[in-house]
Amino acid sequence: MLLEKHIIEQVLDTALETGADFAEVYIEDHSSSVLQSVSGRLEKSQNNKAFGVGVRIAKNFQSVYGYTNSKNPVDLIKLARDLSKSFNDEVKTERLPLMELEVGKRHQPKIKPSTVSVAEKVKLLKEASKHASEYDPVIKQVICNLVDDEKDVLIANSEGRFVTETRVKVRLMISAVANDNGMMQTGYDGDGSGKGYEFFYEDMDIPYYAKSAARIAKTMLYADDCPSGVMPVVIHNAFGGVIFHEACGHSLEATSVAKNASVFCDKLGTKVAADIVTAIDDGTIEHGWGSANFDDEGYPQQKRILIENGILKSYMIDKINARRMKMEPTGSSRRQNYKFAPTSRMSNTYIANGTSTLEEIIAATEYGLFAKKMGGGSVNPGNGDFNFSVMEGYMIRNGKIAEPVKGAALVGNGAEILHKIDMIAGNLDRQRGMCGSVSGSIPADVGQPTIRVKEITVGGRKKGA
Amino acid sequence: MNLDKLFSRAKEKGITDIEIFSSDTTSLNIDIFDGTVDKYEIAATEALTIKGVYNNKMGRFRTEVLSDDVIEEILDTIIASAKEIDSLDDAIIYEGDEFYKDLSDIYNDELYNLDVKKKIDYLLKLDDYLHKYDHRVKVVETMYSEDTAAVLLKNSKGINLTNKANAAFIGGSVIVKDEVDQRVGFDVVISNDFNDFNIETLAKDIVEDALASLGAKPVPSDSYEIVYSNGAIATLLSAFQGIFSADSVQKGLSLLKGKLEETIGSELVTITDDPFMKKSAASRSFDDEGVATSYKELVSKGVLKTFLHNLVTAKKDGVKSTGNGFGGSVGPVNFKLEAGSSNLDEMIKSCEKGIFITNVQGAHSGVNAVSGDFSLQASGYYIEKGEKIRPVALITVAGNFLEMLKDITMVGNDLKMSYYGVTSPSIKVKSMQVSGS
Repeated sequence: MLLEKHIIEQVLDTALETGADFAEVYIEDHSSSVLQSVSGRLEKSQNNKAFGVGVRIAKNFQSVYGYTNSKNPVDLIKLARDLSKSFNDEVKTERLPLMELEVGKRHQPKIKPSTVSVAEKVKLLKEASKHASEYDPVIKQVICNLVDDEKDVLIANSEGRFVTETRVKVRLMISAVANDNGMMQTGYDGDGSGKGYEFFYEDMDIPYYAKSAARIAKTMLYADDCPSGVMPVVIHNAFGGVIFHEACGHSLEATSVAKNASVFCDKLGTKVAADIVTAIDDGTIEHGWGSANFDDEGYPQQKRILIENGILKSYMIDKINARRMKMEPTGSSRRQNYKFAPTSRMSNTYIANGTSTLEEIIAATEYGLFAKKMGGGSVNPGNGDFNFSVMEGYMIRNGKIAEPVKGAALVGNGAEILHKIDMIAGNLDRQRGMCGSVSGSIPADVGQPTIRVKEITVGGRKKGA
Repeated sequence: MNLDKLFSRAKEKGITDIEIFSSDTTSLNIDIFDGTVDKYEIAATEALTIKGVYNNKMGRFRTEVLSDDVIEEILDTIIASAKEIDSLDDAIIYEGDEFYKDLSDIYNDELYNLDVKKKIDYLLKLDDYLHKYDHRVKVVETMYSEDTAAVLLKNSKGINLTNKANAAFIGGSVIVKDEVDQRVGFDVVISNDFNDFNIETLAKDIVEDALASLGAKPVPSDSYEIVYSNGAIATLLSAFQGIFSADSVQKGLSLLKGKLEETIGSELVTITDDPFMKKSAASRSFDDEGVATSYKELVSKGVLKTFLHNLVTAKKDGVKSTGNGFGGSVGPVNFKLEAGSSNLDEMIKSCEKGIFITNVQGAHSGVNAVSGDFSLQASGYYIEKGEKIRPVALITVAGNFLEMLKDITMVGNDLKMSYYGVTSPSIKVKSMQVSGS
């Protein structure tokens, strides 16, 4: 156990002494490693060990949070006492006894990172590096990063929740640089999982991802600048789902909805998207990159239907914002680590399959952009304006994929774009991402089948047709 | 952790040199949402980063667990890592410099000791002021954040250095609404002196731009003269500061490779790294490797003068480290585009057909630091014949970083440190491609 039960109870009791109505203790024991190879040689091996305790106390909507590295009971009780000074109420809330410790059984790794030697890890890096370097002579530099993360968490609160689980994430990322005649472009690909190292041995096709990074770099090296203007855009499956994540997902988090700062406020049960759009946030997918047994408030992760056939069905809600919104929490609370108070966040978010095919969608598009691989993006939840970059793009001419183009950015508005999706294929796939927001940077899957957006502003360096 | 024990066990296990970097941080974060305290956060953390040289290779370990029990595990992991490293880089532990500048103004005891109650009251006043500023201000969130960091660097070659700094920022975000549109305003002021915070000025910076941008629409796609506000250009500069790292240059990941002493920008462009900047919590007299920091011009009147170096990159290039070894890599301390002589109004007045960009978004994904290409979401105002005509949003501005530096025709006198730690004045660029309606 990460901390003795009677100490946790003492901290919770201290926290409630001044009249708060909720107290929570989050304990984390965390080790991770980052290995980086440059041109096939191991250059960096960074190993980390972290331990911390976060204490959160709330009354109604108001919450306070504090954290420390110490596991000394004196320090922890002092932290709870300092935080409790924010409250002053005669009416005290009775703490419910902690239930029997519930241990999360799903998503458990076969091969924990802590059991894998540095030498074994280096073999994976070298394999990835070799396949990317050998792809083509224009590939002049390959940088690979292997990241693993192993975390034991324990969450207890004044309502009796008492849960623990081990969370493991592993990821291998390949970045290739192509260089010819003074021109330079990068390509990037990789994969990760909520499994242990068995993921690299049993699931991940390392040569495929390595070659993909190299192929993107080479293709973009000889690509023309993307034309600018408003046009139809076909966004390919998997990481293309970043469009929904940025454009709509963030605005469906209680973090913005509860504060009346989202374009989707008061829109439950109304039509927010084209009829063909169904979108889901599912934190229960077996070994998913964004999955866990429990959310970071200790409640079971759930599968949430956000939008069904165009109708808004659910937000993603944490405990404190649930109070503000007078709704039930949805098991959506997440945080990077003990240094962050938890709040509502996405887990594995995707648009569900439609009935078209990729070929049909391309053939039905006279002129437009095919965004085969998306880069990252961001959104302003206050008004829903978003932007994201296209890492690998091609023009579509006369219903056929034509020449590659570089430097494209897509900008639009989340509320509007959902209505403009007019074709969805049946090739749903998900891909790994890191999502940054108020409670830190967390692993989150994005996903979708290939979709077409009727019209969207494409930003590029060349004047449009 | 008993450092003497750590150092002596390291030696016994065959680690030839060892260095520790310890940081002790306390922080305070307060958010007020519509008149009540919404977030109150206090924290104290300590972390130790340990580097050990074994067989002339460097192993690293960062730990927040500071008991003596983990010493063996840490040293064993460092040795196991070092054994696998086959990079050709040397592992260097530094002997130290003779002189380190005394930075007395980067820690302000008064700020640290100021009663939390006063900090909350100040935020509540800002909240109230913002609410009453204009009837279209609908949602108000204000925030105060304060950090104090004490670091210690100690190694087996005799370095023993300490540094303590603190800083705070106060800021606010608002949503303004009218019948047809809703916009967001945000700004912060950074300082370690509470007297630098002024509610009226800050509120104006937070709200005015948002109000003026209500009803913003895209402009037709075309090329325009561009004026970037100091905040907007700082966001773009922060995304490109990595190209000055010698590590990126040596790995072929920077578009500045091979361009030393070449003209890479207009002669109005001088870019510096100022590690002694007053009231910046980032200011340092030594870097994470123990090298004395120094003021330097990276770009002087358009000419690229130096890259940023740590010990390893400096040795490869046969130069002296510039004291920019931070976090196991290379980076600036206080990156700054130096002020020019124009004022913002003059820049706007000089545009025949232009856009005054007050905000850019997506700098973490919309820029390619290798090619220099960028395409970013932007908002601001359309300018015609020197007059601001109407607000503009949902456009992208695209170009190449070096081409943009060469096309800078005016540099402002309105230096400001941004949220990203980059300091810049407003600038004017001859022409850039804008994508809109």
